[in-house]
Amino acid sequence: MSNNAISRKTSGVDKALRVALYTVLLVAAAFYLIPFIVMLITSLKDVEEIRTGNLLSLPAALNFDSWAKAWSSACTGSSCGGISPYFMNSFQIVLPAVAISTLVGAINGYVISLWKFRGSDLFFAAMLVGCFIPFQVILLPMAQTLGWLGIANTTSGLVFVHVVYGVAFTTLFFRNFYQSIPGELVKAARLDGAGFFTIFYRIILPVSTPIIVVTVIWQFTQIWNDFLFGVAFSGFDTQPVTVALNNLVNTSFGGKEYNVDMAAAIIAALPTLAVYVFAGKYFVRGLTAGAVKG
Amino acid sequence: MANLVIDNVKKRYGNTEILKGINISIKTGEFLILVGPSGCGKSTLMNSIAGLEDVTEGRILIADKDVTYTSPKDRDIAMVFQSYALYPNMTVEQNISFGLEMRKVPKAERDVEVQRVAELLQISHLLDRKPAQLSGGQRQRVAMGRALARRPQLYLFDEPLSNLDAKLRVEMRTEIKKLHKKLGTTIVYVTHDQIEAMTLADRIAVMKDGQVQQLGTPQEIYDNPANLFVAGFMGSPAMNFIPAKVIEQNGTPMLELATSTTVALPFPKPEALKNYVGKTILLGLRPEMITEPQPHKEGQPFVTTTDVEVEVTEPMGADTMILTRVNDAEINCRSNPMYPAAAGSIIKMMFDTSKAVVFDQESGRRLDL
Repeated sequence: MSNNAISRKTSGVDKALRVALYTVLLVAAAFYLIPFIVMLITSLKDVEEIRTGNLLSLPAALNFDSWAKAWSSACTGSSCGGISPYFMNSFQIVLPAVAISTLVGAINGYVISLWKFRGSDLFFAAMLVGCFIPFQVILLPMAQTLGWLGIANTTSGLVFVHVVYGVAFTTLFFRNFYQSIPGELVKAARLDGAGFFTIFYRIILPVSTPIIVVTVIWQFTQIWNDFLFGVAFSGFDTQPVTVALNNLVNTSFGGKEYNVDMAAAIIAALPTLAVYVFAGKYFVRGLTAGAVKG
Repeated sequence: MANLVIDNVKKRYGNTEILKGINISIKTGEFLILVGPSGCGKSTLMNSIAGLEDVTEGRILIADKDVTYTSPKDRDIAMVFQSYALYPNMTVEQNISFGLEMRKVPKAERDVEVQRVAELLQISHLLDRKPAQLSGGQRQRVAMGRALARRPQLYLFDEPLSNLDAKLRVEMRTEIKKLHKKLGTTIVYVTHDQIEAMTLADRIAVMKDGQVQQLGTPQEIYDNPANLFVAGFMGSPAMNFIPAKVIEQNGTPMLELATSTTVALPFPKPEALKNYVGKTILLGLRPEMITEPQPHKEGQPFVTTTDVEVEVTEPMGADTMILTRVNDAEINCRSNPMYPAAAGSIIKMMFDTSKAVVFDQESGRRLDL
């Protein structure tokens, strides 16, 4: 009897706590979702509807005109071809930059963790400093370097900048991951007759999937979302989508087309969103795998 | 199969000398064990033989060929690691054949070799599994299989059994011994477990502080330790060290032993004690040489029976260890479990000094060699 009473009482408290918990969670979720919902419904309204309705009022009909306009005919500065060419520019920058910085980071981490040389720890420490240099600091020297290399205002130039800036992070990721791989594995492979790159390719890379996923997501997001390097180092034809989005929003003939702005913003954010949706679970798994052994 | 010569090998990191001139040579087919406490340099020596670490001075010869500066893969050796170091992304089969593949052995020959090794080690049913799906003992076998597949000149085992539980360790120990008998391979084996060393080795090199303290057969090392360290390290329970005063009786140096009464123990090589009369030396006596009185030994030379007080007894099944105190040193005696020895009681024990050894108290040097 008394046992029952106690358990019933506890379950009442439990229920209340649970309700409170869910309320907090829902509020938090809404807090993060509302800006996106506003963007989405605004992009589906026409200009008249936006002016007359309020932020959260739903569109009368689904209207994708603004998406089409943002994609192919909105004006960004003086050209009026939408953001699609810049969207492609971004891919041309992001894909090689992610691939190269990930590969270089993997080899760096492999060397620093498993082929220690005199001063390799110092080398790693120096590399880490790279993670803490603010973007703005390197703008001028980088502009000069790109000029010397003859790749100023080109896609290759931007790829170069992102690789240089990203290698510090990718090296850190891979180094921490490889730190948990026993050195005896490399010794065994050396005795088996495998060389530096064979060991990397045949033994180390195949067990690196989690950290590769983490690095790719991280680098993809960083480089895709970059605005500062994009605006500073790109030419007129090589602007990434973030810069184009800025230009689109700031270019107005007549009234402000919020629906087109919103549609363009969502389009610009879609690739990173997609990466998270498809690889997000590896991201969390990989981060913890790097941090905690096993 | 090949012989191995380690010729005055030294290794320095900056100012610290890890190996201080190692000289070991073993014949083809011999099983050499490097044993010693952690930090004695045995693993460094092993890595130097493998070529995974450079030596500062000296030479290493495998099959009479100087390989001191040869890269690991060209030394024709295989190694079994403490962590097994199996390639986690490959199946057992791929693990075993990887070394062959790296040496460009054709696929058909590789398959034959994998089958041979798998049958030898009874792991044929595991060939498709990944290392993560294997138990400790199975991983151990695969690691050995990987070494065997290449048929190298020399096998190196780096503490291969220390990650196994006690029962499996004993099983695998026997297995390794059988394999060695069957294949007649030359093996260098590192361990810190002196029982492993005793049971497996043809010859043991006891190491400490980067030096070989003694190199010899297990029995030589057990019966005739070169110094106090070797005597104390080999054998379980360890040898008893009893500080004893050298006294002269009828012109013969004897060793004074104070228990409940005081007796003089004879020593097989009294001439070694001539210069120590009146001084105290360390008498080394293995536990099995201090037993309950055994009628058949009565009257033999170097056998002395005296009273001791029992402090603690530790029954081990086959024997009972009796802890007592002699000359103020705690000593272990191995007695028959039937022999009555209650803690606190005074009992008769028989000291057999025919195999006793003596050491200098300060330097640990053996005095009767």
